[in-house]
Amino acid sequence: MHNTPQSNKWPLWFDPRHRKMGSWAFILNRITAIGLTVYLCMHLIVLSKLAMGPEAYDSFIALAKKPAVIIGEMFVIAGAIIHGLNGIRITITSFGFGVRYQKPIFIGLMVIAGAAIFLFGYKIFSEL
Amino acid sequence: MLIRTGPKNRENFWLWFTKIAAGFLIIFLLGIHLIVNHLIVPGGLLSYRQVLAYYQIPFIPIMEVFFLIIVFTHSFIGVRSIILDLNPSKRVLSIVDVALVSVAFIFIVYGTWLVIVVYQLGRL
Repeated sequence: MHNTPQSNKWPLWFDPRHRKMGSWAFILNRITAIGLTVYLCMHLIVLSKLAMGPEAYDSFIALAKKPAVIIGEMFVIAGAIIHGLNGIRITITSFGFGVRYQKPIFIGLMVIAGAAIFLFGYKIFSEL
Repeated sequence: MLIRTGPKNRENFWLWFTKIAAGFLIIFLLGIHLIVNHLIVPGGLLSYRQVLAYYQIPFIPIMEVFFLIIVFTHSFIGVRSIILDLNPSKRVLSIVDVALVSVAFIFIVYGTWLVIVVYQLGRL
């Protein structure tokens, strides 16, 4: 089965109707991938503050502890956990394992992702 | 319906395999990174002095550079896969390939330089 979206029908990419779980898993993988790549580049650029000395870096860390920034950071952590666990499913099935059980595997991994995101969020926000 | 996935059209096996292998290494390395930077330290973020001290642990600078290479390799091969969804022409794909390799190379060189600087600052 051809699993690549048709570029000439791109407006349909944003149509949430009639989508099956595989489509949502694919969309989730793509959205988290793009978000994490943008964050990765920004993260590395911001870390240049380390080369500028303690005042520059510690003032950035003070900003990073603001609730608005921490909420943004939670999106990154959630994206990383979802992308990582969904990636495990994609990898094992790519090698032919558990292909028939992809739906329960996906649901199970997303439940684990939800629990991990909750625990990270609880830990981070309880220290504010 | 969830279907079996694999290399896409115009994504050769080794490029696809590198992305998959790098992804698994990232899960391990990112686990260490998240635990050190967000769970161990109260408040979740290392101060300047704590970062410098962290980089004095012998294997950490090497691990961070390795992490940097692996994560950019995985993410930029991934970006290429997403661009392949748009069915680009051969010429556009060639330009995309050069751009992705160049940007990833610049970030890896810059990140390695930053690791060396942080390591050296910690030794002062």
